[in-house]
Amino acid sequence: MNRGLIVLGGIVIVLVIVAMTVTSTYNRLVTLDQAVQSQWAQVESVYQRRADLIPNLVETVKGAANFEKSTYIAVADARSKVGQLNLPSGAPNDPAAFAKFTAAQDALSSALSHLLAVVENYPNLKASQNFADLQAQLEGTENRIAVERMRFNTAAQAFNTTRDSFPTVLVAGFFGARFNEKTYFKSQPGSETASPVKF
Amino acid sequence: MSALRWPLALVMLIGLATAANGAEVPIPPSPTQWATDTSGFLKPQTVTDLDARLRAYQAKTGHQVLVYVAPTTESTPTEDWTVRAFARWKVGRKGLDDGLILFVFPTDHKVRIEVGYGLEQTVPDAIAARIIRDAITPKLRAGQSDEAVVAGVDGILATIGGETPSQAAPAPAPEESDAAPNPLWVVLGVVLGLLVVVMVIVVVARMPRGPFIASHSSGGSGFWSLASMGAGFVGGGFSGGGGFSGGGGFSGGGGATGSW
Repeated sequence: MNRGLIVLGGIVIVLVIVAMTVTSTYNRLVTLDQAVQSQWAQVESVYQRRADLIPNLVETVKGAANFEKSTYIAVADARSKVGQLNLPSGAPNDPAAFAKFTAAQDALSSALSHLLAVVENYPNLKASQNFADLQAQLEGTENRIAVERMRFNTAAQAFNTTRDSFPTVLVAGFFGARFNEKTYFKSQPGSETASPVKF
Repeated sequence: MSALRWPLALVMLIGLATAANGAEVPIPPSPTQWATDTSGFLKPQTVTDLDARLRAYQAKTGHQVLVYVAPTTESTPTEDWTVRAFARWKVGRKGLDDGLILFVFPTDHKVRIEVGYGLEQTVPDAIAARIIRDAITPKLRAGQSDEAVVAGVDGILATIGGETPSQAAPAPAPEESDAAPNPLWVVLGVVLGLLVVVMVIVVVARMPRGPFIASHSSGGSGFWSLASMGAGFVGGGFSGGGGFSGGGGFSGGGGATGSW
């Protein structure tokens, strides 16, 4: 009787400790995961903001006499590829979806910087109030993208550091893909300098 | 035993985060005035006037608008420096993020208007760029630094507007609610904990010299250290004292940069 109670008591104590540890670990991972998800939403929204500027930009450069057609068509194409991205909500957890997203956005970045380089040859266009406003909006948006990407990486790092620490890593592993490591944005030559697009 | 490693891991994490922050180019501590000139670019009288004006503007509208003149951002790109300064100084009200800073870096020949999240609709990038392009840089090129900064402030305050009283600050967001442990688990934990205590008492009463006493104390401390974890959030505080102090605002890189 006594021995049975001791064994039972021991089992209960171990179970309580394990349950409390798993619960608190799980909750903390959820909190950090939510921070990453909400920062991801910010990243998506600033990229969307850039995409929303493209039609107006294309219209504006089209209006300039003899503007090189291929450059703005390239931008419009890259823009439509970005628009076709159908991302699952768990993109930061899914390296393949993440890579697809960054590839499409980087393609748009490079088409845009090419177009803006070409604008240099059109002083009238460059001096117009309409284009100056667009230029300011694009610069601001590129800067926002850089800021939100950096903050995303910070949030992802906080998650990954906790996730991969012992003993959290055991709990995280137990829940499978729910707590995958987050992917980071890598800086790309030309597209991810801290300063915005140069004109 | 594994429960005892928890607080340690937490401390290590906090240490890591602090180390990561310290690795970047340092941002000066928050200014104590609304207008600050650390490079002698403006006349002292201009700084005093701007300071009084911006202080009154905040008192009237709630918006924190700052002027900050520093020689240079060194190797850091202007926009990177200013967004981090904004975050460090917490300009604008918490939750509203309705602050704005006009930066001038004379050595770099750079001007930047850094707009808090909450003012992005009121001061869009194109408008910020127009203020810089039309009001500020022409005067800077002409060497009229005081007039340039005052004209910039004129443009900014006119854009945000000061006559209409701004909306009241909303109720503070229920912060860190995710960090709180699930109530169900807490109840379960407490019940189980009580069960353990009762059992241990029973066991101890029946067999006073058992090996269980040591286990009991270890289990107990593990429980309490875990239970207290949910409440372990530390927030930064501010002390006023008449000067400027940040309200907890954030910016996301909105605004515009100009050079002369």
